[in-house]
Amino acid sequence: MADEARKKEIFEKLRNGVIQYDEDACREGAQEAMAEGLDANEAIFDGLVSGMEEVGRLFEAQEYFVPEILMCADALYAGLDILKPHCKQMDLGVKGSVVIGTVEGDVHDIGKNLVKMMFDVAGFTVYDLGRDVPLDKFVDEQLKTDSELVCLSAMMTTSMVGMPKVIEKIKAKNPDCMIMIGGAPTSKELADRWGADGYAEDASNALKEAIKMVAFLKKLRDEKIQKK
Amino acid sequence: MNADPLKQFLQAEGATLVGVGDVTKALSREIIHLGRGVAIAVNRSLTRDTVDLLVRLQALTEGWLKAKGYRSLSIPPDSDRKMGKMISKLYKLFCHKTAATCAGLGWIGKNGLIINERYGSKMTWATVLTDAPLATDRPYVSSQCGDCDLCVRHCPSGAVQGHLWSLGNPMREIVSYDKCRSLKSGRTSLKEKPNCGFCVTVCPYSRNGKKNSN
Repeated sequence: MADEARKKEIFEKLRNGVIQYDEDACREGAQEAMAEGLDANEAIFDGLVSGMEEVGRLFEAQEYFVPEILMCADALYAGLDILKPHCKQMDLGVKGSVVIGTVEGDVHDIGKNLVKMMFDVAGFTVYDLGRDVPLDKFVDEQLKTDSELVCLSAMMTTSMVGMPKVIEKIKAKNPDCMIMIGGAPTSKELADRWGADGYAEDASNALKEAIKMVAFLKKLRDEKIQKK
Repeated sequence: MNADPLKQFLQAEGATLVGVGDVTKALSREIIHLGRGVAIAVNRSLTRDTVDLLVRLQALTEGWLKAKGYRSLSIPPDSDRKMGKMISKLYKLFCHKTAATCAGLGWIGKNGLIINERYGSKMTWATVLTDAPLATDRPYVSSQCGDCDLCVRHCPSGAVQGHLWSLGNPMREIVSYDKCRSLKSGRTSLKEKPNCGFCVTVCPYSRNGKKNSN
């Protein structure tokens, strides 16, 4: 087992790899973490996700723009691809599976992909339906996979109008399922009116919301570890 | 900001042409802050080596700009796009021809390809977008093909229409790509080269280009 200093050094490498969108550094860091026998979950949260949190902050401060965010996301995936197979399933009391997609008539999926990434990181099973997804496909997929969460994304007002129909259908069949909507034309008011449980305005906000969510999971995990 | 040092640097590293254009009008919201396009061209046939050279030149450009505190985004050569990545979503928001015309390195010919006065269409292109306020070159705003219609007459699929490109009329279809593609797919099954490339080889500018590069 590696000592604390070495562990810190590796996590810092992963974190900086994400922030400086350096895919090679993330890959190296992830391999080193595995070679040293470090905990994969820890490497993801204290390395990669911690970097993404900083990226979210840099975006808010307008130091980073959409291209940087996407490059950081690629770097994060480079590390995640190596660490993920070594992950233990996190026992958080939720099964954690999510159906996600961009609704019919819409091919914009940058925001959706960022949200999907954070679910990947958090260890959720993600059923990504892609973009331009027929409305009934969401309902069918939710029933089939029994996912607790459905995320609907739309960039255009014309495609957004399909959202309430999906929400209604899913809630009718499965009232406990949580539904998140996102995309430029959506709003908190619309989410409330349509009976959605969560909302994120655009790619960056979606990322922030998703980071918050993952941070919350991390807190749960830490508390659990402390109790042991 | 003087762009000459960057141009000289890239040319010394193997670039054939380097130009800077103001591309603000062609940018979508995600990349609107990157108002300058550095167009880089190499006059070599499209091989793995050529693409690698362009990718290296892009990395050098990014490094040069970063050292001066500026942001950049590389739009890789069309044949080197790893589409599985998050960043690759942004590549299709920008087209190398925009950078090349804005940077005054060529116009869009009747064959739908960038034609450079010296090298014709025998070029491979890459672009680096940046927010560095580099001095821009004088753009091409209209076609210089004139009455020449060699590529129209030689196109075996009738895809080349013979229209003149101009910046003011960007929606005009210059080449019917469906027709061009239909010929390509037919050719593949006959085990010939998928691209006929006549519209490149008959172009007087491209022929001169061959002479110039020897």
